[in-house]
Amino acid sequence: MNYGPLIFLAAFFALATSWFGFVLKPQMQIGQLSQTVTVPGNDTYPLNRAGLAQQGAEVYRANGCASCHSQNVRQFGTICEVVLTATGTNQTALIAALREIKAGASDQEIASFLTGLPKQLVIGPSRAVADKAVDSIKSAGGKTVMHIKPAGPELARGWGERQSVAEDFLYDSPVMLGSQRVGPDLAAVGMRLSDVNWHLRHLYNPRLEVKGSVMPSYRFLFEKRKLAAGASPDALVLSAGAGVPADAQIVPKREAIALVAYLTSLRSQEPLFTAPYSTATPPASSGTNAPGTNAPVAGASPTTNSTTTPAPAK
Amino acid sequence: MSVEPKQSTTSSTPEPKAGRTPVPVWLVVLLFILLYWAMIYFDSYGGWFSPQVYAPYHSTNQLAEYQPPSGDNEALLAGKKVYESNLGCAICHQNDGLGKPGQFPPLAGSEWAQGAPSRMIRIPLCGLSGPITVKGQAWNAAMPNVGSILTDDQLAAVLTYIRKSWGNTASEITPDMVKKVRGEVGGRAQPFTGDELSKVAE
Repeated sequence: MNYGPLIFLAAFFALATSWFGFVLKPQMQIGQLSQTVTVPGNDTYPLNRAGLAQQGAEVYRANGCASCHSQNVRQFGTICEVVLTATGTNQTALIAALREIKAGASDQEIASFLTGLPKQLVIGPSRAVADKAVDSIKSAGGKTVMHIKPAGPELARGWGERQSVAEDFLYDSPVMLGSQRVGPDLAAVGMRLSDVNWHLRHLYNPRLEVKGSVMPSYRFLFEKRKLAAGASPDALVLSAGAGVPADAQIVPKREAIALVAYLTSLRSQEPLFTAPYSTATPPASSGTNAPGTNAPVAGASPTTNSTTTPAPAK
Repeated sequence: MSVEPKQSTTSSTPEPKAGRTPVPVWLVVLLFILLYWAMIYFDSYGGWFSPQVYAPYHSTNQLAEYQPPSGDNEALLAGKKVYESNLGCAICHQNDGLGKPGQFPPLAGSEWAQGAPSRMIRIPLCGLSGPITVKGQAWNAAMPNVGSILTDDQLAAVLTYIRKSWGNTASEITPDMVKKVRGEVGGRAQPFTGDELSKVAE
């Protein structure tokens, strides 16, 4: 019996399904990606990098930085924080609500909690617990603000405020996600380390800035010049332990300056609809925060996934 | 090369043939249960392939519930943005507001940052030069007039952010205050000194 057509069909089917799954579907999903806006703030995001930073991306690529550094922060959960901002007029009801939320707290602890608002009422991974606290405080006449922070080991290391999303890489070609983390993630390195001179010294000799760093020195991005010709305004300010002779100066080449411009342009931290977060309230005076307009209390039951209400994409 | 053994053709047992056996019923049931579970799993976690839904969120509805409430910290976020922008304050005073020892004085806990608005607004508007004492330490300031290119709204937002972050608890600065000070300062080109600032009325 001739199995030729059958084998051909089976092979065609196998290749076609994988092409649909790995090429066509992702292309349909994010192939038309365009600029979006930040939430809140409504600013256009992302903006293209400045010219020097774009040149720096090529230096980053040429030197294989992506083989040790990733640019992709992941989120594994959320932490909900409820802050009590105002007590309202019905003190008895509020204290009853607080007693329910803070089970096991003595009257004295509750009384001292109510002084010096705003204060953190609930913090934890459960949205249901946070919503319940917001509801009971609201029905007791008090006011709260809820903050939602992305959580996960990578965010806990301070690598960013939120996870990386596809929009962050809109203008990158190729996208240098990286695959190994010999060094730290760089998705938001421009936010954490915004000092250009720090980056230049760190590229010249990482051990000068980070003790025990395993990063190689990128000295070929710098020029060693005799000081006799006059000090360059770009020359690095190095400590005596850097091993540079007294009659020499270290001047960054254009590549180094471009690379640092690229590194400080890595700032994927704006809050987006796809990766929401609200910053923790700095201990603000409660007057400015308009606590009346807060809290997604209305009908927010996070356990249901019903598709009845359209997403109020704000 | 090889020679077929003669016995096989003459053997009494017939040559084995592939027959048809029905699929066991339990396997069919199991497959349907698996399919059903897969559908439910996709429905709850798949987000219908929406490009907006990333793990750990499950659907656009859930994502909408996790959006920051409108009006929440908006002014502070706007200020933070100016502060941390490429032309902003963080280059010298750092993202944590602690400045740099010996070079740039801290804003966190600084009496100037939390002092009278009329004095604080003048610093970024015209710049600051010469000796100044911040948190009991003497500094030699050389701050350019970075605030002069900002709008009243932006400058008010960033100053408010400074006054309310890193443990600072001073009052808000409104665009009107900035406008007023801008008018008072006029076209002054040279930076203020610490002594001059101290003499400005609160």
